[in-house]
Amino acid sequence: MKFLKPILAILAGYVAIKFGIPYVGSLVHPGTWPVVPTSVLKMYMAFVTLGIVMAYTFDEEGYAGLIGPIEDIYSNPSKAIVRYVVVLLVGTFGAYITYEYVKPTFDAPIELRSVHPAPPSNAKMWGKTYQIQTIQNPYREDKENFAKNLEEGGIVYYKNCFFCHGDRMLGRGHYAVGFNPRPANFVDVGTIAQLTESFVFWRIGTGGPGLPSEGTPWLSAMPVWHNLISEEEAWKVILFLYDYTGHSPRVTTKVEH
Amino acid sequence: MSDTGKNMKPGIIAGRILLLLAVTIVFTLSPSIAATGNVENGGKLYAKKCWWCHGKEGEADGPAADFMIPPPRDFSEGVYKFKTADPKAEIVRDEDLFRAIKHGMPGSAMPSWGEIFKDPEIWDLVAFIKSLTDMFEDMDNPAEISYAGKIPSSAESIEKGRKAFEAAKCFECHGQAGKGNTIKKLKEDSGAKLWPRNLTKPWTFRSDYTPEAIFARVSNGIPSTPMPSFAGEKTEKGKLSLEDRWHVVNYVMSLKDDSSKTKDGDIVVRGIQMVELPKDENDPAWDKASATAFFLVPQIIEKDRFFTPTNNLVKVRALFNDSEVAFLVEWDDRTKSVPGDDAAAAIAWGDLTPDALAIETPVVLPTASEKPYFGHGDASHPVSMMYWNSGSVESPNGTMLLTTTGTGNREKSDATAAGFSATGSYKDGTWRVMMKRKLTANADTDTSFETGRYIPIAFANWDGSNGEVGSKHTLTSWYWLLLKPETGNAVVVLPGLAFLLLVGGQLLFAGFLSKGRQSNKS
Ligand code: HEC
Ligand code: HEC
Ligand code: HEC
Repeated sequence: MKFLKPILAILAGYVAIKFGIPYVGSLVHPGTWPVVPTSVLKMYMAFVTLGIVMAYTFDEEGYAGLIGPIEDIYSNPSKAIVRYVVVLLVGTFGAYITYEYVKPTFDAPIELRSVHPAPPSNAKMWGKTYQIQTIQNPYREDKENFAKNLEEGGIVYYKNCFFCHGDRMLGRGHYAVGFNPRPANFVDVGTIAQLTESFVFWRIGTGGPGLPSEGTPWLSAMPVWHNLISEEEAWKVILFLYDYTGHSPRVTTKVEH
Repeated sequence: MSDTGKNMKPGIIAGRILLLLAVTIVFTLSPSIAATGNVENGGKLYAKKCWWCHGKEGEADGPAADFMIPPPRDFSEGVYKFKTADPKAEIVRDEDLFRAIKHGMPGSAMPSWGEIFKDPEIWDLVAFIKSLTDMFEDMDNPAEISYAGKIPSSAESIEKGRKAFEAAKCFECHGQAGKGNTIKKLKEDSGAKLWPRNLTKPWTFRSDYTPEAIFARVSNGIPSTPMPSFAGEKTEKGKLSLEDRWHVVNYVMSLKDDSSKTKDGDIVVRGIQMVELPKDENDPAWDKASATAFFLVPQIIEKDRFFTPTNNLVKVRALFNDSEVAFLVEWDDRTKSVPGDDAAAAIAWGDLTPDALAIETPVVLPTASEKPYFGHGDASHPVSMMYWNSGSVESPNGTMLLTTTGTGNREKSDATAAGFSATGSYKDGTWRVMMKRKLTANADTDTSFETGRYIPIAFANWDGSNGEVGSKHTLTSWYWLLLKPETGNAVVVLPGLAFLLLVGGQLLFAGFLSKGRQSNKS
């Protein structure tokens, strides 16, 4: 029964990719079930199978253990019936795989995009050129007017952002479903929680079209906000994003050049 | 009798009793939690999460209020739409407010708060909202409407329901086929623009898609809107008997159309090869192509943004042959907007302009992932746009073939050379528009529709009775079109070949090994 273990291991790999990954995804983003696309699944399964076969045939004994029974089936005169069954099964399986490849499908191609590409060193917004590394939120330290600025930021958010990023900042505004990529979920630890305020300011100012090509600027519906709101409003809405979600902006330790 | 009781350990028994007690306590307590929701705490939560839409004093004047349709509820009025109280009661039940807050109102901007607030916090919010008006003063929570007399659905009941739908004139607002294609201009009591529900899309129902919820709707009407209460006796004009109300419920439940729903991950328009293309949009040959549904979202990205759309979905099919490709686009639209039509002008909000549709594809098919900026492309990536509109009463079907390089930059291209034509017809609340053109044309300004290749495709839509002109319209982001050439024999031949090769190979291998065995023995 040398066979059983590797086969079980491959099956376990399949279950993990087919159901495990969506399950983990559903925990991270409740209400979703992010399935692995079939083509990616096939690729992963090829790796898993290869890895497991390699692991099990690593030494002489393992090799013999795996190959011995195969040789036996194909050559032992007393196993003729098993042999023909195996021959037919393997043939049918091959035909099925080939069919899967040539049958007409309309599976969408996979598009990869980098969610947080490196920003350019400077960017033009509101008619000025900003050094993205060095800009800071002018309202962050203004403790005296903090509450007022925060509320003004909230007003900017509910006049401009909530229909995409959502009333609760979960990226599920009432129009979010119509966009691909989906609007960012600010509550999630994977977005503003790991970004500096200057990066967020650049993303808001230049929107989707401001992304470098690895960020697929042609797909993002994120508007170019320097055309639509003022610079002050952009900084205030950033205050609000962090306050509402309870995250704090990442602070960069200053790098000397 | 089972013997589980006998064998149970005392600890387990005690545990079960405790559990039972807890459940009983929770059940008996919940109404009183409702009654005693903490107004002060509700106010705090409201000031953090709700005022942005509903306004600081609940007067529906928060900063977001102008950017949505329907507008948020005005709590100072104390009138609520989705009421399950007895039709005689003047006020809504606490449970109705609780449900709206906890589960949200699909099809509107009102989100479901159940993921954020615990039930007691939601009861606090209910108490606070009720305190914003004097409507609830000295009033007890009214009794729930009686669901007695419920009739199970059957073909017969649905047919009776259809007749009741006629008799009660539901169709005047909801349309013969239930798609909300009204013949009246409707307003909320506040004066806000209001469109009746498309009953074939229950996922846009604000309340639940259950017989009970719809029964409550028909019996209570929708307060603060023109949808009246139908509860009454057969003899009363405009009313429906208890029995007929349950039949109409079964009829409404039967209208659901799942083909008008997007499916997760289904983002490719399936182009099917045919010898002869359909001659117009109503040709039954279209049934051979399967439809893919895409969400429409309003243009909220560039200047002159638009926040109050009506249409929310297009269904697209494609067929092609050696020389041409044809598209059929269907969408539910509550109004047939054709300038010159007085009846249409009477129910339009703003000037009546034509309904319109555009299909966009890149002029240069992308080789890597890079595409034109979605929508209208950009200076270095032009987009070809097939445009149709409903024209006017005198000359229906306006068509144009355009090349755009960014918003506002567009030029007409040679529609005759591209063999471009488009026609549309409207029936029972749905437009069907067919667009047809040659597969290849002028390579500088037009898309060449290569078969077997994934082609980015996007759509734009205008409802001319809803003030949608120019940049004010709905759109989709990039999806895909695949004109799949017929696979022919390959689907059969290749797997067959694989089978023969594998079987032959194995037999050879087996022969080889047996020879080895024999020579080893000897
Ligand atoms: C039309 C829909 C839409 C609107 C309106 C919109 N966004 Fe976005 N936004 C997106 C989409 C889609 C993304 C994800 C794609 C991307 O990163 O560009 C995004 C991404 C972002 C990001 C990047 C997050 C990250 O982790 O990189 C920030 C920050 C952001 N939006 C802020 C805002 C703010 C602030 C507003 C309002 C002033 C706003 N957005 C309005 C669609 C929108
Ligand atoms: C993004 C905007 C928005 C926010 C935030 C919001 N609402 Fe609403 N709410 C709406 C809209 C829009 C409607 C009206 C929907 C309709 O008329 O179909 C509504 C309706 C309601 C109703 C009326 C239900 C009925 O049957 O008439 C209640 C109650 C309500 N909201 C409570 C709340 C509470 C409590 C909060 C905060 C926890 C909240 N809302 C936050 C937009 C919002
Ligand atoms: C005078 C016009 C009018 C008539 C007549 C009318 N309705 Fe309505 N109905 C509306 C409007 C408007 C809405 C949407 C209200 C809103 O969104 O606030 C609506 C909504 C509904 C809904 C949606 C409930 C939800 O949860 O979203 C149902 C179901 C419904 N109507 C059924 C009926 C039935 C059945 C009849 C006939 C017995 C009927 N209506 C008659 C105007 C009407």
